[in-house]
Amino acid sequence: MAHRWGMVVDLDRCTGCEACVVACHAENNIPTAGEAEAARGRAMHWLRVERYWEGEFPDARLKFRPVLCQQCDAAPCEPVCPTYASHHTEEGLNAQVYNRCIGTRYCANACSYNVRFFNFFNPTWDKPLHLQLNPDVSVREVGVMEKCTFCVQRIKATEQLVKAETREMKDGELKPACAQSCPATAIVFGDRNDPESQVSRMWRAGRAERLLEELGTQPNIVYLKRQAQA
Amino acid sequence: MDRRSFIKLTAVTGTTATLASCSSAPENQLIRFVPDEDLTPGIAEMKPGVCPLCDAGCGTTVRVMQGDVETARNGQAGVVTMSLAKKLEGNATHPVNQGTLCPRGQAAIQITYHPDRITQPLKRRGARGSGDFQPITWDAAIAELAGHLDALSASGAQAALAAWTRPGASARQDLTAVFLERFGAPAPTSYEVFSDDVLRRANLMSFGHEQVPTLDLSASRYLISFGADFLGTWNSPVAQAAAYGRMRQGHAGVRGAFVQVESRMSLTGASADEWVAIRPGTEGVLALGLAHVILSNKLRPADGAARAGALIDGWSGGLAAYTPEAVEKQTGVSAARINRLGRELAEQRPALAIIGGAPLAQTNGLFQALAVNTLNALLGSVEAPGGVAFMPQTTATNARPARPLRTVAADILAANPSPVQVLLVDGVNPVFTTPAGWRVKDAVLKVPYVVSFGSFIDDTSVLADLILPDHSFLEAWTDARPESGAGIALTTVAGPAMKPLHQTRSTPDVLLDVARKLKKPFKPELPWQTFDQMLQAALGDDNWATATKQGWVALKTETKKSEVRTQKYDAVKAADAQFDGDPAQYPFYFLPYASQAFLDGSLAHLPWLQEMPDPITTAMWSSWVEINPQTAARLGIADGDVVDIASGHGTVRTAALLSPGIAPDTLAMPAGQGHETFTRYASGRGANPVKVLAPSLEPTTGTLAWAATRVKISRVGGPDGHLVLFAGSLRDEPVAGRG
Repeated sequence: MAHRWGMVVDLDRCTGCEACVVACHAENNIPTAGEAEAARGRAMHWLRVERYWEGEFPDARLKFRPVLCQQCDAAPCEPVCPTYASHHTEEGLNAQVYNRCIGTRYCANACSYNVRFFNFFNPTWDKPLHLQLNPDVSVREVGVMEKCTFCVQRIKATEQLVKAETREMKDGELKPACAQSCPATAIVFGDRNDPESQVSRMWRAGRAERLLEELGTQPNIVYLKRQAQA
Repeated sequence: MDRRSFIKLTAVTGTTATLASCSSAPENQLIRFVPDEDLTPGIAEMKPGVCPLCDAGCGTTVRVMQGDVETARNGQAGVVTMSLAKKLEGNATHPVNQGTLCPRGQAAIQITYHPDRITQPLKRRGARGSGDFQPITWDAAIAELAGHLDALSASGAQAALAAWTRPGASARQDLTAVFLERFGAPAPTSYEVFSDDVLRRANLMSFGHEQVPTLDLSASRYLISFGADFLGTWNSPVAQAAAYGRMRQGHAGVRGAFVQVESRMSLTGASADEWVAIRPGTEGVLALGLAHVILSNKLRPADGAARAGALIDGWSGGLAAYTPEAVEKQTGVSAARINRLGRELAEQRPALAIIGGAPLAQTNGLFQALAVNTLNALLGSVEAPGGVAFMPQTTATNARPARPLRTVAADILAANPSPVQVLLVDGVNPVFTTPAGWRVKDAVLKVPYVVSFGSFIDDTSVLADLILPDHSFLEAWTDARPESGAGIALTTVAGPAMKPLHQTRSTPDVLLDVARKLKKPFKPELPWQTFDQMLQAALGDDNWATATKQGWVALKTETKKSEVRTQKYDAVKAADAQFDGDPAQYPFYFLPYASQAFLDGSLAHLPWLQEMPDPITTAMWSSWVEINPQTAARLGIADGDVVDIASGHGTVRTAALLSPGIAPDTLAMPAGQGHETFTRYASGRGANPVKVLAPSLEPTTGTLAWAATRVKISRVGGPDGHLVLFAGSLRDEPVAGRG
């Protein structure tokens, strides 16, 4: 059976520590913008931890929400791309083909979640920082849009592994970098087509909500609401 | 070998053979083209590793793949195919971090590949602190250090050798200690600004364990934390976050409650169900107020607190002075709330109280820690499920008492000639992490000969005469013995995951080498040729086999629990926190805090962490001071304005950042930035709050009371562009629909 990848983020477990943010940089060869470009809004974080303040001192509250590409089933970024660089895969991923991308940035305009990042420059790494680059992930060049891929390189590698070993993939065997590093196990990744996968079970839990669902984007990520103490 | 790599190889060989014909022997060229025997192109190998960044001692798994490195070998530049670390993951079998890492651990790999790493030994050429160094060979460097030590021996001045190290137990620290002892020098001095020594002392007095606690949060039903940033930077944050996740959602139908008491909302405080703002320095009073509620309502037997209770003056009288009304006056927390929290604590079992961070860094820090310990003992949460426990420890090989860095520095400045003639600095940057009033920089400059083992030129190593750069943690044998975070004694240990990139040497091996070269040999001589021999000898063959395979090994201890020491102490009277600075002139409490990205600043050189948006403010590449919006409005300070923060001991200039999570009478500033020199990414960036702190101490332990300074704030001008906020966010919290 084909896979359909999905993610559950439990906001009641998330501590906002940002291990996921750095893990994503380490896995996906995301360039560092530096102070000057970051000040112009060009820092690239495929995954960010949003934070929302409520109330005033001493009753102030602060909430965290990790936001990454929601891998929408009805993705607003896809139909606007003139070159089909942004397209949908059979496994439900909202993929970006870097070689097709001509940098119109229509997709970033269309995205409701602000999770697409444009390469204004060719990325550079002060040597020998480049030796850390992950050989499984292509480096994106100037003029190309990039975003979270659900660590498609890990998906492909694990699919090839289980095929070579002629077996089924185990639930939890495959983790994107963010989920693997999460100390509080707030991020869970898995196959929505498997009704018994942890993701499917958590998806059915009462606290599940999707981000900006009223837009009809049908994200493949659900958030489990942070609970208030009874 | 396939066709493609054969063609590549012959092409490269041909080119370099031409070049090589005019340089040295051909066998030196060959080495470039012999790949590691265990290397398969394109296939990743996972090797165990040790995270070196803090004392938590987490285990890692290092993803290693083949890569080509431009490097110098045998004095020639060339390209070497070698194993390269590509990514760090948490070691899934490790009892402390259980397969995950914090953001700092994720970024640790950038230490190895840092463009400003020191690649070979350096000898000072210019004036002290000028940063003018020249390369020197390892043989010459080791001979020079051995020569300086020989000179001390010859004049009978062995006690004039000193070593400054980071805290935390490890075989590496043991080796430094043994080296100094055999040489005849005082024990090494360890230092960190955000020290837990006050808590260790309190735990020794209350429970007989001179240790930071291990928290069994997973089983807790109710947690009250006094200032402890246990999900971010304090104690063993990865282990604690894992347990916290289970406390919240790991048990069907049961969700543990969490109350945080502090005066500035921390990363940890943001996750609390109830956030209690408190006047700084009164946390211990609140803890005793909660104990009073429990005692006066007979919710727990008074003798439950036993030994810990006996340390608190007034305990036998039921803490009569700590009525909710009296406590409200001191703490600013309402009597009704104290009554309710006290009852909740007693009703939920297991309930747990912890203390860490700023409350310990007051002049009354010990009293505050003892008060929280007593509350915990009263709740029956010591060495009990859902409470605090003390991780079993193996006996330290060297227990000589060490003198604190502050007094060593003061002695150097006071006496002529300096009582320290040779200073070894390993893994600490005290010129950066001490208050200006301690004059540590002056002290280092007064020591005639300073040797650093650092991998980077930082605020302290720039003052050195000789720099003997260590391997990175991925290139050398590395170990750590965690003090907390698991239920069993263990050591995290791993060999090199990759070969060294540069002409560096492992510091423990350098020490062993220097020991062998001394004119007057140690008696008895150190029995190990290399550091891994020492590790192996310490562990024994069976443990060694396990450790090298899985990256950690459980250590045998006499008992399953940490040993209890039974010395009796006198009861401690309540003491008010003393703040440096006249409130009329310096109206604000000043709260520096460990940065989620940089801790005390030791990680400010890593670009991933510089660009990681701060979880509370989203700031990147920046320094800032958090100020309450109403206070800011009253003073005419707007978001991003440049302000001066002045104490009686100095001034720092930074950007104001309006935050609803801070009391109107408090200013908070993250530590970490403000390095004078620390690589291209951190040099001259932002400001260091530690520099303006008063040199106030917690008197019983002599540790820095870093939360005991008052400051004033004044607006200098509008935004200067150095406060960089992450711009990619959705602006308001989206209202989500049902999934």
